[in-house]
Amino acid sequence: MAERRTGSPWTTKMSTASLVLIPAAIGINYVGKLFASMLKLPLWLDSIGTCLSACLAGPLVGALSGFLTNLIYGLTMDPISTVYGLTQAGIGIVVGLMAWYGRVNKAPGILLTGLLAGLTAICISTPLNMIFWGGSTGNVWGDAVFAAMGSQGFLASAVDELIVDLPDKIVVLFITAGIYKVLPRSLVSLYQAKDESLD
Amino acid sequence: MAEIVINNLRYRYPETTRLALNGITCQIHQGEFIGVIGRNGAGKSTFSQALLGLVPNFYHGAYGGSVTIDGVNVKESSVDELCQKVGLVFQNPFNQITGSKLTVYEEIAFGLENFGVPSDEMHRRIDNAMELLDISELKNRVPYDLSGGQMQRMALAGIIVMEPEVIVMDEPTSQLDPQGSEEVFRAVRALKNQGKTIIMIEHKIEKIAAYSDCVMLLDDGKLVAMDTPKVIFSRDDLAKHGVCAPTYTQICRELNIRDRDGLFPVTLEETRALLDADMKERVSR
Amino acid sequence: MKKSISLYEEKHSFLNGLSPETKLLYVVVAIAIPVMIGGRIPFIAFMAISIGLLIDSKVLYKAKTIIEVSGFILITVVIIQTFFRGGNYTELFRLGPLVARKEGFEYSMGILLNVLNIIFCFCVFVLTTKPSDMMQEMVKHGASPRLGYVFVSLFQIIPQMTEHTSTITDAQRSRGMETEGSLGTRIKAFLPLISPVIMSSFMDTKERSIALEVRGFSSKAKKTFLEDFIPSKYDSKIRMILVIIFISSVVFVILKATGVLPVWLR
Repeated sequence: MAERRTGSPWTTKMSTASLVLIPAAIGINYVGKLFASMLKLPLWLDSIGTCLSACLAGPLVGALSGFLTNLIYGLTMDPISTVYGLTQAGIGIVVGLMAWYGRVNKAPGILLTGLLAGLTAICISTPLNMIFWGGSTGNVWGDAVFAAMGSQGFLASAVDELIVDLPDKIVVLFITAGIYKVLPRSLVSLYQAKDESLD
Repeated sequence: MAEIVINNLRYRYPETTRLALNGITCQIHQGEFIGVIGRNGAGKSTFSQALLGLVPNFYHGAYGGSVTIDGVNVKESSVDELCQKVGLVFQNPFNQITGSKLTVYEEIAFGLENFGVPSDEMHRRIDNAMELLDISELKNRVPYDLSGGQMQRMALAGIIVMEPEVIVMDEPTSQLDPQGSEEVFRAVRALKNQGKTIIMIEHKIEKIAAYSDCVMLLDDGKLVAMDTPKVIFSRDDLAKHGVCAPTYTQICRELNIRDRDGLFPVTLEETRALLDADMKERVSR
Repeated sequence: MKKSISLYEEKHSFLNGLSPETKLLYVVVAIAIPVMIGGRIPFIAFMAISIGLLIDSKVLYKAKTIIEVSGFILITVVIIQTFFRGGNYTELFRLGPLVARKEGFEYSMGILLNVLNIIFCFCVFVLTTKPSDMMQEMVKHGASPRLGYVFVSLFQIIPQMTEHTSTITDAQRSRGMETEGSLGTRIKAFLPLISPVIMSSFMDTKERSIALEVRGFSSKAKKTFLEDFIPSKYDSKIRMILVIIFISSVVFVILKATGVLPVWLR
């Protein structure tokens, strides 16, 4: 991830290795959410897998991991969460692009990526919150502020979302970058290595 | 007829400096059972994956020389074409389960579905394979519920339904208990009797000695020797290459019991035959 | 031990026999029509149909867990909207310093009905459809079989992964890691818990992709299926009825908007 990669981030053809990364990423999202609630953390931490797969295999794989996370969640637990797959897909694209251009590397870049991912989440989730939940997010802190702001309107809803999403995405990005650095090179090279000839 | 020709094969994994395969040249003929031995890191797994073109097409990295199967260069060909000729089974039976099927029967069908085999043909091939590997009674079980030996035989069945002429096995029993391991070897014997070419990487040296027509000894990415088990295990420099000879060979070496060609026996049967002959000779004298 | 997180259960019911497509069409119709027509009765009507179908398929009890997940957030929505919604309001009752507002309460009831309706009709689809049938249907309609694989495999691979989490938690606790206490302590516990899961699942992907590759996963041949899903004879009729209902609702809404509708129907 240290350097900017060549080629277009969109033309990456879906290799089998990339596709198989998706279930792993979704599992990590799941487990992250599980541990976060087990430790009673005030964050969701349910997009680490999305961000990691985006860093490894590009924005498309990131977007798919994110979208399918919510689709599966929707099919097994909470139907409405399916539509929030759009939010996770947006996060995957943003993080994948930032990683592609070599920005998820040093602290300022990671912070910036976290902020952008958080803003993306707010932009996509807020309209969905308005449509389905009248603007609430289901998070105690965010909803408290939402109530204080009169429980209506786009602004109040966006602030509600921001209070949870922005810190969450920044923390997620720092965790992602930290883990990415210690991933075995043999794994990373499956996605990013070039061929050469010894003849 | 699958004829495998390997010519000066060299390969280096991405972001490493050492050649994992260094100038391997050999030929493997239809119907042979080839045992591949060598210490950890000798290049055995890399070699097995080069036979299907996974090295270099999946791993990338630096590649030289060639592997051809029936005149087809594997590097220029894709894995989905090659896997109808060469099947691969590897160590961890768990990771070979696709995760997309709810019964053993469906799991075995996975490869056939990908190749668009018609449904009735699929049923025929799956039934045959399950019978051959003695797993017919597991038909409706959940793949993840099986024991290690059963899982590994299911993986093998998933490969042989595609009817490859060559089957490559990379330590298929290293993660199994003795019983599971015995189950897999029984299945291997059945395949050998069918005339399949089998290339098996295995640390259980007694098994290699018993099954192989020919043994390849690898060390540091190089092919040290390729010959009959007797010739390989009668070498003096085995320890230097990080392998040991079968127990019978070691005992006979200590007792200096050799056959007519001056080689040590490698299995119980050979040892017994040699001792019997020896005994008769003494009695008749 | 749970092997698949799919909520599907084979009950040989009427709904089990319908094609996934037909059930998905029902979901679309059941969500769209009440929103188009408005008022409360259409929502309640579709909910009643969904519940009836679930009872017929003997899976209503499974809908309970799904309702519980969304139930909590629904309660907060009702509270927030009833007591805090801005603007002019009609007082319903007072609870200490808080005023229950009629407008907010009614607004939250609208949300409640919509969400419950979505949940119930979704259940009709999810609780009676096998994931691999959903996939086969998608692939037959031109979806990538490779993506189809990813979709179906999730139902089994995720429980395989989460199964390890309790082992990891126990192992880390026995090494003296604290999972309770101040926020700082708990945050510190997160990384050692999640990193083994990430490492092992990523390393597994390498072997899994080889295993798929050697079984023709990248083959360009037209995929076949071991068993084809044969929908019941009612399948196409039901689809037709759903389409007719949908079109007549659209016509109804247009007529209502243009004011052509007779007074007694408005």
